[in-house]
Amino acid sequence: MHTELLLDAYHEQLPLYEKLKSIVVEQIYTCLHENHIRIAGLESRIKEEKSLANKLELKGYKYHSINDVTDIVGIRVITFFSDEVDIISALVEQMFDIDWENSVDKRKSLEIDRFGYMSLHYICRLPGTICKEADMLELCQIRFELQMRSVLQHMWANMYHDMGYKSDVEIPVEYQRNMNRLAGMLELADEQFSRIRREINDYRRNVQSLVATGNFDEVPLNGDTFRSYLDLKPYQRLMEKIAAINQAEIYEDSLIPYYNVLLHMGMKTVGDIERLRNKYSDGAYQLALLQLAGTGLDIVAYSVALQNICIVAILKQGFGEAGLIRLFAALYGESAYNAQRAERVFEQARKINLV
Amino acid sequence: MNITINKQGGKTLVVLDGRIDSSNSDRFQKDMAPLMEGDSPDIDIDCGGMTYTSSQGLRIFLLLQKSVMARKGKLVMRNMNSHVKEVFDITGFSNIITII
Repeated sequence: MHTELLLDAYHEQLPLYEKLKSIVVEQIYTCLHENHIRIAGLESRIKEEKSLANKLELKGYKYHSINDVTDIVGIRVITFFSDEVDIISALVEQMFDIDWENSVDKRKSLEIDRFGYMSLHYICRLPGTICKEADMLELCQIRFELQMRSVLQHMWANMYHDMGYKSDVEIPVEYQRNMNRLAGMLELADEQFSRIRREINDYRRNVQSLVATGNFDEVPLNGDTFRSYLDLKPYQRLMEKIAAINQAEIYEDSLIPYYNVLLHMGMKTVGDIERLRNKYSDGAYQLALLQLAGTGLDIVAYSVALQNICIVAILKQGFGEAGLIRLFAALYGESAYNAQRAERVFEQARKINLV
Repeated sequence: MNITINKQGGKTLVVLDGRIDSSNSDRFQKDMAPLMEGDSPDIDIDCGGMTYTSSQGLRIFLLLQKSVMARKGKLVMRNMNSHVKEVFDITGFSNIITII
């Protein structure tokens, strides 16, 4: 009888559960967006009648009213990294009122020699500020469960569940050891991913600071350091000079495709590409002047500066037309036209004594 | 200049013939405008008959490229003669648009 009354109340409140779920999901998405946090996923559900009935069957004596059941509305935030769970939980604590008595950190509840379900479960209510509005009073009576876990923790829990076991019900002992080994491995992997990410961020901050302070020779050339170098707009002055030939507009295209070209040209450090710029900027400008003056072309891509620096460097280093063909192939792909392109540029360069 | 536009298997095929300059760039832009929206972002331009493009033409190709990229499609320009290719090379537009 008690169970039936609770189920009736559940049916009556279904529209409220739907509304609560939408509000919570929207608030979480807004908060993540405002804090520039990417997550692996967000799941939300309203407990199905059958599942609630089972729960009431087992533990119905605990619940005086339907609002004592705290997980009818369930939200799950899945992070990429395990250390992001703490960041999300800090935000959740600001967003909602937490029922600490019923919340549980399964990450801490495992004993030192146990591996398994790792997740942070908060029982929440909409905050007092929202509950002051008359039409929200009913909603604010309802608690919801918010679970936070990493994508690897999520994977483990899903696989466990898929095998027919709830996380709080252990699988037969003969399989337990292998499951524990897997759980331990995933916990280690979670930690390693977080550690690697921290180290990469430290590395990036370090090279950004080296690049920003002009210690270019200490900075090995890689995708990250090339981007940091480009943030300094090293080709801006040359590009403005080239644009001035026809009072042209500069279209800011990406210089990232030049990263591989520079590697092929033997650049090892950011200092190498800085020297390339210093050494060949004049020649690059002379080449642009010859090509653009009198054409009336009043739009140029930002990449022209680096394109011409590479051309001049190749010619000055004696690689000739063959070197230009390799450069154009790297930039534009293999094509019979590259030879014609190289011949034309070589001839132009010869006119201004670049070869 | 003559512009022919056809749809083929989810792709838009454009054939350009003649010069693009200040005398016809407005018309060219109007003709290209429908290609910058809609659900067929892949555009293939046959430039075999195109003899020249001015900066106005380059700007329109750039708009096309941006709209195509925004819709995760691909803009390909093919059969360009060497004079037109030179315009794309010296302005750096060969770095922006796929020319085959």
